[in-house]
Amino acid sequence: MPETVDYSSVVSMLQTAAGLLKENRDHLSQLDSATGDGDHGTAVSKVADAIIDTIEKDESNELKTLLKAIGWAAMSTDAGSTSPLYGSLFIGMSNATPEEGPIDCTTFVSMLESGVAKLRKNTRAEVGGKTMIDTLVPALAALRESADAQPCVLTALAAGAEAAVKGAESTKEMQATFGRAKNIGERSIGHVDPGATSMALLFEGLKKGLE
Amino acid sequence: MPMKKFINDPDNLTAELLEGYCGANPEQVKLVSDKIVMRATPKDESKVAIITLGGAGHEPALSGFVGEGMLDASVVGDVFAAPGAPKVVEAMRLLKRDAGILFVVLNHEGDVMSGNMAMEMAEEEGINVKMILTHEDIAPGADAPIEDKRGLAGCIPLYKVAGAAAEAGKSLDEVYAVAEKINDNMATLAVALKTATHPQSGGAIFDLADDEMEIGMGQHGEAGTGSSKMLTADETAVKMATQVLPAANCASGDKIMLMINGAGATTLMEQFIVFRATKNYAESQGITVAHALVGEYLTVQEMGGFQMCAAKLDDELVELMKAPSDAPFWVTR
Repeated sequence: MPETVDYSSVVSMLQTAAGLLKENRDHLSQLDSATGDGDHGTAVSKVADAIIDTIEKDESNELKTLLKAIGWAAMSTDAGSTSPLYGSLFIGMSNATPEEGPIDCTTFVSMLESGVAKLRKNTRAEVGGKTMIDTLVPALAALRESADAQPCVLTALAAGAEAAVKGAESTKEMQATFGRAKNIGERSIGHVDPGATSMALLFEGLKKGLE
Repeated sequence: MPMKKFINDPDNLTAELLEGYCGANPEQVKLVSDKIVMRATPKDESKVAIITLGGAGHEPALSGFVGEGMLDASVVGDVFAAPGAPKVVEAMRLLKRDAGILFVVLNHEGDVMSGNMAMEMAEEEGINVKMILTHEDIAPGADAPIEDKRGLAGCIPLYKVAGAAAEAGKSLDEVYAVAEKINDNMATLAVALKTATHPQSGGAIFDLADDEMEIGMGQHGEAGTGSSKMLTADETAVKMATQVLPAANCASGDKIMLMINGAGATTLMEQFIVFRATKNYAESQGITVAHALVGEYLTVQEMGGFQMCAAKLDDELVELMKAPSDAPFWVTR
């Protein structure tokens, strides 16, 4: 069981997650057609391409540098609000990444917490608003709880991914109060939020990449 | 119905638009790094620079107001989408100066996200920049929280007075104070008659019945205050002016800038008829129109309707409003 992760294992996690997001491009756009402007799959796919390209070009071999470069590239994708949200997630992760050495479970969870904190500076959305926050908040709680009980990154990620998927599913019964979906009010009930779904896919991809 | 527009590859819209716009106005503007429209002749470094950001598809806004006496740069995103923060920071680096930069952001979710992120990066890099957020839409109510009030065409008179103050050699704090003064005393209300087609997806951006109009509709089809049956020009103008003028803090004895901004498919004829009715109403309230803007400043493709924007002006703002500008869509000699 991996108690720590390093540059190469995180690269493999990110590549798997980016691949999973790209595979779900049409699915995410279909979800977005119900409540938004139908481009979330395209937007997330652009971010996934930015992740893959940045990893290919990276010569630093330093995780802190790589995550910041990914954040910067994601923010440059002009994919509506998806770009700053995903971009700030990776920049926030970079901020909490140690300069060198392997990363233990607690530090890894702190990196994700720092990323989500940075992402949340962009939005006033809270849990229950039918957004990616409904995925991220329970996922982080599950990650932290698992990390406190047992210092294993894979166990923590498995718990985080499971909570993320449940969180995304919980958006189905919610009425949108943020983003373009709020314009349709009650008609948003019954549809899963595409942003919440793509974030759950990201966590699932990170877990699969470490397995 | 298939989309009926003169376009090529939808993915190249913004690039082709900017190539054409800068190619048509080479004495005033030039295109830098794909998406940054800058003044062809840079402003002296001793003066404050003014930059803004926003999506394409609203021509001539926002890049039409880059020029001597107005903006130094406009950072353009894709159609109706904000540019990424890194591109904004790139423009800030190009304009970095001891005098500082005023950064004007319209209150729309994506624009604000990119703007805030760019401000954070600029701070890390030691770029001297102050941000001002326009939020003069009164559709959600004049007293609604700032977060709910969108930035509409009022950014354009704000560019003008801030740009003129910068050109006059005022400090960043002074330029910011001028921008804040107009920002705190302006209000805009939009009315839509007919939807527009998103030039990339080909879809309608909202639905409205043939015999209806919607007051308060945003510039991307965001919901307004509900649709109503069509009114005449005079009825519409008065209905809107009774909300806009008080929201801009205008009372008897005040001078104002009054803008009737066509949304794209409303004719100049109609805009002048509405302007006349609004001006007459303002005068009946003892308010003087000291500066008038009638025409297409910030459009939404072929959307039918207009935005009515009023700003209370003191003597300083009147002078700045009338100062010279060579921006392609606001020429004052």
